[in-house]
Amino acid sequence: MAKVELKNIEKIYEGNVRAVSNANVVIEDREFVVFVGPSGCGKSTTLRMIAGLEEISSGDLMIDEVLVNNLPPKDRNIAMVFQNYALYPHMSVYENMAFGLRIRKIPNDEIDRRVQDAARILSIQEYLRRKPRALSGGQRQRVAVGRAIVRNPKVFLFDEPLSNLDAKLRVQMRTEIAKLHNRLNATMIYVTHDQVEAMTMGDKIVVMKDGLIQQIGSPLLLYDHPCNRFVAGFIGSPPMNFLEGRLREEDGSLLVEGEGFKFVTADIHRDDLGKAPSPNVIVGIRPEHLRIAGSEEGESILNAHITVIEELGAEAHMYMSRRADDTENLISRVEQRHDYHIGESARFIPDMEHVRYFDADSGRALLGVIGPIRMSSRRSALSQDE
Amino acid sequence: MDTHPANAGPRPFLWHRTFMNILYYGTIVLCVFFFLLPLLWMLLNALKTPLQIVELPPKLFFMPTLANFENVFSSQNFLQYIYNSLIIAGGSTLLGLVLGLPAAFSIALHKQKKLAVFILVSRMVPGITFLLPLFIMFRNFRMVDTYTSLILSHLLVGLPFIVWVMVPFFESIPRDLMDAARVDGCNVFSTFIRIIIPISMPGVVTGGILSFIFSWNNFMFSIVLASNRTKTVPVAIFNFISYAQIDWGGLMAAAVTITVPVLVITILTQKYVIRGLTAGAVKG
Repeated sequence: MAKVELKNIEKIYEGNVRAVSNANVVIEDREFVVFVGPSGCGKSTTLRMIAGLEEISSGDLMIDEVLVNNLPPKDRNIAMVFQNYALYPHMSVYENMAFGLRIRKIPNDEIDRRVQDAARILSIQEYLRRKPRALSGGQRQRVAVGRAIVRNPKVFLFDEPLSNLDAKLRVQMRTEIAKLHNRLNATMIYVTHDQVEAMTMGDKIVVMKDGLIQQIGSPLLLYDHPCNRFVAGFIGSPPMNFLEGRLREEDGSLLVEGEGFKFVTADIHRDDLGKAPSPNVIVGIRPEHLRIAGSEEGESILNAHITVIEELGAEAHMYMSRRADDTENLISRVEQRHDYHIGESARFIPDMEHVRYFDADSGRALLGVIGPIRMSSRRSALSQDE
Repeated sequence: MDTHPANAGPRPFLWHRTFMNILYYGTIVLCVFFFLLPLLWMLLNALKTPLQIVELPPKLFFMPTLANFENVFSSQNFLQYIYNSLIIAGGSTLLGLVLGLPAAFSIALHKQKKLAVFILVSRMVPGITFLLPLFIMFRNFRMVDTYTSLILSHLLVGLPFIVWVMVPFFESIPRDLMDAARVDGCNVFSTFIRIIIPISMPGVVTGGILSFIFSWNNFMFSIVLASNRTKTVPVAIFNFISYAQIDWGGLMAAAVTITVPVLVITILTQKYVIRGLTAGAVKG
């Protein structure tokens, strides 16, 4: 297995179109790293550069401390699983899996052993003689994974492998790939636009946007400490709520207030917020950190009216808006049973220790950020306000 | 009177459907008759005596004779001409595939649209435009009346057609498949041979068959560039037309002889040909 290092990797297409800028990632041996981001963010291009299918414009790509920039895919000892399976339609499942080994002139008995082993792991022994067209989507994807396994590569690359499967099969295959990682103990790099896949599968997540890496970290680190508003909004489902507000000091407390809300910031956040470059901030609250106040009184209250209630049994997603025209969708994840109805006004209390703050201009996180993108010098918001 | 719409409805609908069916099948029969009449005429005359051929009005029912076919193979060296045609059509088709398939793959892979148009234009220019330069060229190289000159000249017809058929075929192959082959260890050449060509077999068969038929039927290049040694069957038919008379029976029997292989090939491979010609028209 192998360690993969991307050092200042860039991809610039004709016409000076930057697909990937200055990517620096270290993927440790046996790590499962997920590149996630919206369409066009450069995640697949990065994966293809690692595979050798795309030329690297600048920077160094190291696999096991060896510079591989100019090596063709076949010499990088990688295997890749594609979104559209990319099975050879004229070959049987067995031949599809054996093809890469035949090209490498591996003896037939060794090929047979490896194919049978992989087929057993993936439970596809009974399909070995079939052609890909006689298989379902899920079975085809297993064969595609099997084709990668038999090669026994240093690095497995997955390019949105579950995108073409239906929701149920996707969840099943997600678990199977995670199990496979545990079983093979291999270095795996996985690309997806689905943040749920990223959160559930990755040891480490790389969030990308517009060709730039936004943040690298464990799933929970990204969830709890997003480095900017984009990461905060992209990771998590239902997504984080964002409220525009302004910091203000009153009676020794640091308040943040805006349309329909007035919160007293938590003591643990005071130091960081005191260094904010501007008093104008975006307040980020995860839906599970926003509960119905009921008759409870609190220092921090958000007033809104309910627009939609999604009952999921164990919990309910309550959509609300502070404005009469319902143009916003704030969400509260309510675990307790309730008797609220659409159109009713309600008061919500945020869990202030879990509230995140972002600079209104740059979108950068104002609380201690853990990740590759650090905030530049911050000026005191309060001193600027004076 | 029954005025219930459920009872009144189907009757006009049935009439309409019957009328449309008659129109549909009538048009088909008319078209088929129009195109098959010359073939039928050729077959009937090939089985008639010289007197029966010129008889007016022509008879549809008569005692058939194989004398014309005997005449074709006894008085003429027709087997040699068939052999020549097979060598030339086979050779030009094979060479057309060897050159045309990689060319079409390159056009599809690198989106060389201008090159594709250039090749298509060479197919559209009348063949006679090339004939004189080709004749002078081959004469200077002392290649007139050789298989090589005929195979090369017939390439002008077959090669653009093969490229034209294959480009949409190759364009419809998912790029991921080629990437998968590269990751599996193939270079461009082995990807082409081991993955692309087997997947594109319907297109290859279509291009090959049609190129073979075009070459087999080609008259213009053959009559100028071939002589006794390399005479092809369409040119050999000319032997039945002399200054003094035309041997209609022999002519028709020879025409039937050269048409039958083409017809058989077309009928056997029509499924492939239709699939090949419509590739890329509908996204799969």
